[in-house]
Amino acid sequence: MTDLLQLTFSGIATGSIYALAALGFTLLWQASGTINFAQGEFVMLPAFAMLFFAAQGAPLPVAFVLTIAVAVAVLGWAFKRGVVDPLFRHGMMAIVVATIGLSIAMRNGVRIYSADAHPFPSLFADKLLRVGGVTVSLADAGTLAFALVLVVATQAFLARTLTGRAMQAVAQNTESAAVLGINVPLMILYTFAINAVLACAAALLVTPVYFGKFDMGESLGTKAFFAAVIGGFNNSRGALLGGVIVGIGENLAAAYISPAYKDAVALALFMVVILFKPQGLLGRKEERKV
Amino acid sequence: MSAPLLEVTDLRKSYGAIRAVAGVSFEVRPGEIFGVIGPNGSGKTTMFNSVLGQIAPDAGAIRLKGADITGLSPLALNRRGVGRTFQTLQVFGRMSVRDNLLVAAQEHRGSMFSRMFAAPDSGLGARADALIDLFRIGHVADKPAGSLSYGQQKLVDIAMAFMSEPDLVLLDEPCAGVNPSLVGEIAALLRELNRSRGGSFVVIEHNMDFVMGLCHRVMVMVEGEVLAIGTPDAIRADRRVLDAYLGN
Repeated sequence: MTDLLQLTFSGIATGSIYALAALGFTLLWQASGTINFAQGEFVMLPAFAMLFFAAQGAPLPVAFVLTIAVAVAVLGWAFKRGVVDPLFRHGMMAIVVATIGLSIAMRNGVRIYSADAHPFPSLFADKLLRVGGVTVSLADAGTLAFALVLVVATQAFLARTLTGRAMQAVAQNTESAAVLGINVPLMILYTFAINAVLACAAALLVTPVYFGKFDMGESLGTKAFFAAVIGGFNNSRGALLGGVIVGIGENLAAAYISPAYKDAVALALFMVVILFKPQGLLGRKEERKV
Repeated sequence: MSAPLLEVTDLRKSYGAIRAVAGVSFEVRPGEIFGVIGPNGSGKTTMFNSVLGQIAPDAGAIRLKGADITGLSPLALNRRGVGRTFQTLQVFGRMSVRDNLLVAAQEHRGSMFSRMFAAPDSGLGARADALIDLFRIGHVADKPAGSLSYGQQKLVDIAMAFMSEPDLVLLDEPCAGVNPSLVGEIAALLRELNRSRGGSFVVIEHNMDFVMGLCHRVMVMVEGEVLAIGTPDAIRADRRVLDAYLGN
């Protein structure tokens, strides 16, 4: 029983990282109808940026803040203006293909820079905590707390500020939002910027575990996509739920079935949800004109 | 006579060989309710969308309070005091009725940065409550707009257009799909908003009783052109209008 609780807690912590990347998927989809299949590489690139700034002598928190500034400019503004905007009128498929291509380019671009796995400092000390008879690592507890704060802050921003509500309005009805005086392109840009910040946070949390490597985003991006679909692609809370379900499922499968099947869990859950509840666990059915 | 609020001069829009709007000119005076009628395909909605910046006209000029607004975006027009409603419902279904009203005016508050941290009602609560009272939708104010009946959503939709206190509101078929008792209610609300706030409206509508009972002047469009402009009584008495609707 104790093992089960420990595995579950650790799974929730891992799942919260998936949730950060999955939240980016759902935000972009809701605000701009965009699916970014380079989302994993959007986590990998900030990891290398933080390593770069750290190599110049910047402490980790400073490197994190500098990376956020660069990521908002490159993965937010430049990505929207350079990739999404020109392709938007050609439909979803063009953006899907372009972001798959972008992910390959980013991966191999970084591979030219370095194909090695780079150790990455953790925000949290290497300590164990005893909570009600269950042993949890400070890294897991800290990761979970950090991710939760970010998810709650994102939700609060969307629900409790003028700009957040305008972003929601754009996500629900772009045409009406524009007529009501909401600056639709600016709100969509904010969404891309938030996605970039979430990607930086995911990089900060996940890289100490997986190391900074050119292909570290491949599996993370896929699992985050599955998590977003499982939770419901049009529901931000669904991203959190989907991430946690995938994280717990992976941990339990690795412990009780075989570590070899760990990575298959997200795919299996994804297939079950697509078959029986295609809108996701918390998602809504959407009607679209064709 | 006071200067026109809206002046549309020789507006033209074609789609290939089809002339959707062919030289339409009219003006709307401050405080006036101006109706636009015409058979299906007469170019009413194309004219509407051209005025509202959703379609770029091929030629012509549109002036608001004397300033040229031809080709301005809906965003820019909204900030100059032009509101609109759509033929179909445009409420934000997952937001409450009250939030729908708040979001309809909030972009007029503060700066880009202050809006990032400001509370969402931002001093607009009293204005939203006044409209909720006027439209008698207080009992559903906290419900998601998408959960209301079609008629209630239509009322929310119309109320939203007035939240930013615009000088001019263009209403595209406000009675489409609503029951006859609500048609009377909408007419009474628009009359009240016109009387108490001096609002000017342009109304496209197929319901003749509604248009003739509400509007100060009516414009009839046929095949992209203006057939007649006049008071409801003058339009009713115009033989050409009857022919346009019923055929010669």
